[in-house]
Amino acid sequence: MNIIIALIVGFSSGALYALIGVGLTLMSVLTRVVNFSLVAVGVFGAYLSIRSAPLLLTLPPAAQTAITVVIAVIVAAIVSGILGWVEATWLSEATTTARSAVTVASLLLLISLSFILFGSQPQPLRPLLIGPLFLVGQVAITKVGVAMLVAAIVVAIATWLIVSHTPLGVRLRAVSDRQTAAELLGVNVKALQVGVWVAVGAVMGLCVSIIGNTAAADATSMITLIIPGTAAALVGAFKSLPLTIIGGLVVGALQGALTAFPSTTQLRDWIPILIIVLFLLWNQRKEVWDVAR
Amino acid sequence: MSLANPQRAASRVWLPLVFAVGAILLGTLFGFGMPAYIVFVSTSVLIAMVSLLGLGIVTGTAGMIALCQLSFASIGAWILEFLYLKTPLPTVFGAASFLVFMVIAGLITAVLGLVIGLPALRLRGVNLAVITLGVAAAVDTTVQQLGFPDQSTAHIPRPFGLSSDPNGDRGYFLFAVVITVVVALAIYALQGSRIGAAWKSVAFSERGTASAGTSVRTAKLSAFALSAFVGGIAGCLIVGQITQVNYLTFTPINSLGLYVLSIVVGSQLIDMALFGGILFVVIPEILKQFRVPLEWSSVAFGVLGIQALTSNSNLGTGVRAALFRRRRLREAARVEAAGDVAAVETVAEAPIPTGTGRPLLIVDHLTVEFGAVKALTDVSLVVEEGTILGLIGPNGAGKSTFVDAIGGFLPQHTGTASLDGEPLRGLAPHQRARAGLRRTFQQDRVPPSMTVGAYLRFVTRGKADPAAIADALQFFGCPDASIPLSVVDVGTRRLVEVAANLAARPKLLLLDEPAAGLSHDEHLAFANRLRRAPEHFGTTILIIEHDLDLVRSVCSRITVLNFGEVLASGDRATVLSDPKVVSAYMGETEML
Amino acid sequence: MSLKVTDVVVRRGVGPVISGVSLEVHQGNITTIVGPNGAGKTSLLESLSGIIPVASGSVQLDGQEISKLSRRQRSLLGLKHVEQGRMIFPSLTVRENLKLTARTKADFDEAMSLFPELEKRVDSLTALLSGGEQQMVVLARTFAAKPRYIMIDEMSLGLAPVVFLRLIPVIQGIAESGVGVLLVEQFAHLALKIATDALVVTSGHLSYHGPASKLLEDEALLRNAYLG
Repeated sequence: MNIIIALIVGFSSGALYALIGVGLTLMSVLTRVVNFSLVAVGVFGAYLSIRSAPLLLTLPPAAQTAITVVIAVIVAAIVSGILGWVEATWLSEATTTARSAVTVASLLLLISLSFILFGSQPQPLRPLLIGPLFLVGQVAITKVGVAMLVAAIVVAIATWLIVSHTPLGVRLRAVSDRQTAAELLGVNVKALQVGVWVAVGAVMGLCVSIIGNTAAADATSMITLIIPGTAAALVGAFKSLPLTIIGGLVVGALQGALTAFPSTTQLRDWIPILIIVLFLLWNQRKEVWDVAR
Repeated sequence: MSLANPQRAASRVWLPLVFAVGAILLGTLFGFGMPAYIVFVSTSVLIAMVSLLGLGIVTGTAGMIALCQLSFASIGAWILEFLYLKTPLPTVFGAASFLVFMVIAGLITAVLGLVIGLPALRLRGVNLAVITLGVAAAVDTTVQQLGFPDQSTAHIPRPFGLSSDPNGDRGYFLFAVVITVVVALAIYALQGSRIGAAWKSVAFSERGTASAGTSVRTAKLSAFALSAFVGGIAGCLIVGQITQVNYLTFTPINSLGLYVLSIVVGSQLIDMALFGGILFVVIPEILKQFRVPLEWSSVAFGVLGIQALTSNSNLGTGVRAALFRRRRLREAARVEAAGDVAAVETVAEAPIPTGTGRPLLIVDHLTVEFGAVKALTDVSLVVEEGTILGLIGPNGAGKSTFVDAIGGFLPQHTGTASLDGEPLRGLAPHQRARAGLRRTFQQDRVPPSMTVGAYLRFVTRGKADPAAIADALQFFGCPDASIPLSVVDVGTRRLVEVAANLAARPKLLLLDEPAAGLSHDEHLAFANRLRRAPEHFGTTILIIEHDLDLVRSVCSRITVLNFGEVLASGDRATVLSDPKVVSAYMGETEML
Repeated sequence: MSLKVTDVVVRRGVGPVISGVSLEVHQGNITTIVGPNGAGKTSLLESLSGIIPVASGSVQLDGQEISKLSRRQRSLLGLKHVEQGRMIFPSLTVRENLKLTARTKADFDEAMSLFPELEKRVDSLTALLSGGEQQMVVLARTFAAKPRYIMIDEMSLGLAPVVFLRLIPVIQGIAESGVGVLLVEQFAHLALKIATDALVVTSGHLSYHGPASKLLEDEALLRNAYLG
């Protein structure tokens, strides 16, 4: 019984990992990059938006919240868009490794900027949704957790709908299949890629605003949520959105399960790594080479 | 002209040692002449330099993303402290304890590095990035909760009884200089060795590496483990410097910073690692003086990193390119000259080799399918020892697929192949290369970061002595062994690849369009040389070639592929006059 | 109205792969480039469409200099490049491949009418088609974009001769509709038969430039051109 409760304890974080994983997978498929800055842009937007609070004091609370969230979304979208523009301009033909390396550099940049601007002290980043949605025995299923899972599923389904049923999706798939061939047919590859970066950045800005400081107390520790997020994305091999969502929930559940055994708290931080390791071992049974020929 | 200059070779061995002794002398003067504060900061520079050197092996030389260099340092530091405080070993080793423990800590860290690297074995660079970022965070929180063995109460004694005061700082600086010099020398030597060549090769092409008989897995893992070893050493040096550490010393964000800095400066180069170390330590020190948040240095590194990555360059190679431009021009001129020699040099006409008649490679019913598409259907052929077999056919007929399958890159094929009576099934490409089956590639798979000679040493797996290497290069009119491959044009690089693989003296060499990119004159010279190759190197050859003149002038037997099937096979004259071949290969006029 | 190439030099790695090639393609005409493998034909086309940069020389499309424009801009100006090796989009259906370029329903239908045999496969993924069908999709897709000039690289690669024969009249039809066609082929004879002008490229140089018929009639000339 304890274990089941413990599994549920991990649900909220698992749902968040799933959402981050979905963002990573989406970007990997559509723009050939493992975006290590994904969470960082959202955090940056959300934390910057609460700086606007003093200017909004005269407005009603609901308007204050709404404007703050809009600012967070816009900032995250812009920062992400700039990164995407850098990638699309100078690294449009580079390998996934080289493209991902840029996001490592921008991750360093965003972490240190967050440090300078927001400090390492906990910030009053109020979550939009507070409290439990319902109780399972003694354990609360939080609104935030449910919202994240819903967001992950909505993003996944919306992506699927757009990609497989719209002219925009046809273009996105064409670029993902063969970028050069698409360019030769006049497809605006750069705009599409930057568009993906902007959209994913906006989603991350919104989501970080929703979760507020429920997942981590300060900007830097929030940015490190990218790690369990990559574990989730790896379960889906950076390709499958449903598997990624499941992966995120599993990582969260395992971490939650370990809270049932206080002596194992050390292990909790190693759960994402273990999942990553196991997955890589399973995924790489077959010989794979760097190039097709 | 290809014979290495012995004086120059000797100076290459001694020069690094002269540098090393000079560095230690300079370090002594610096350590005992400068103000205490500067000496202390300089020790930090050296430690950062050692970290960067370790990282340079993975990121610079082997081309992967590793984000946990300071986690290795923290593990090394933890082990060193543990050995000092929790075991009776310090009484055993006395004054040498620090050194001994440092090596032990480095070795254990290297083993941990192996364990981390193992699942990412065929690590695409990104997988390694994901896993090392996770390790960085997990090690950080673990160490945070566990604490270091010193528990912020005990101090770790410095090596050789050095005191923990400013006077001891000077002695410790000298110690750090010596360790840094030893690490730098070792890495320099390794980079010039066969394993270093394997790292450079794997960064450029995995397939090329495997075909040279080197396991891609071993190359990557050894790079990562060595980097972890050096990381562990750096951690121990930090303990010795400040004698008491906590998790803040090794925060993951600094690992990110080191990685980015390593990219920015190109820290596989010794001098650039020193420069990177200076940047890493001195910029925050300066910011501290002006009471500016230290994180601005990381912001700067982030911006520099993006700049370096988007322009695909780093300070080290940039500075070198500027410094050595004249030398490169001179070398390029030498390559030109060598090329001229290749074109005009007349080689005595040799007859087409006829071989011993013994079957060497037997391929039976080879079928390769890619999904629903059959790339090869029921291909059977025999290559006789000592001959040159031509494999021809229109573009897309499956010739390169054939070479891939025989070379071990398509293990899912059906049918069998055996070399010299030994079945090839189940052997990985590098194992086939070691068993005497080599191949060259249609694409450029010759890593430009090496010299011609280093490449030949790598491909021959050290079995060819300098004379044999010079001989193989001269045989094909290739540039001198000391020329960097980066100044050699693509066509000539392909020749160097052929020369290197012949110098490895395999039983069978598969050549995939070796002459594409050569001029017509060079074609003829190449054909002349190729005819003598089976006798000269004891190697049987299978050649894929488009130029029928070349095929006609070197091959005794020809096999024609068309749509993945053998259309004709037999001696040269019969095959080339077969009307089926004529219509499939060139005479499409009959179709109209 | 022409695609005019003057003294184009293309470098790959250290040395030039195309040195000083000039040619002109007129709308409504087919120009064929033949030459041995590795002579630089593909590199020439790639430099014209912008996949690799032109080191020096000029490329003019109906009088407008395009050698510094992006691939997309050149494509939007009406210069389309059909790359070697059937560059289909495997995750797109036949219909989607065509819709990617067709602006109107009429353009789509016109492109489909080139290859009625594609009709029954219109909703299949192109990854699942045969090589010949894939080549048809690539041609139809390019034609649906209403190009003014079209460069086709090694259309016959890996195709059975009978399929290639099926494609030849389509190319002629495209040219007759007023498109300038630049054809690169290893099957020299067939490609020369339908061309007005012919060029032979060997080792990055033009070794023949003149009427295609002259090259066809003179077997020795063709052979010499090939061998440089």
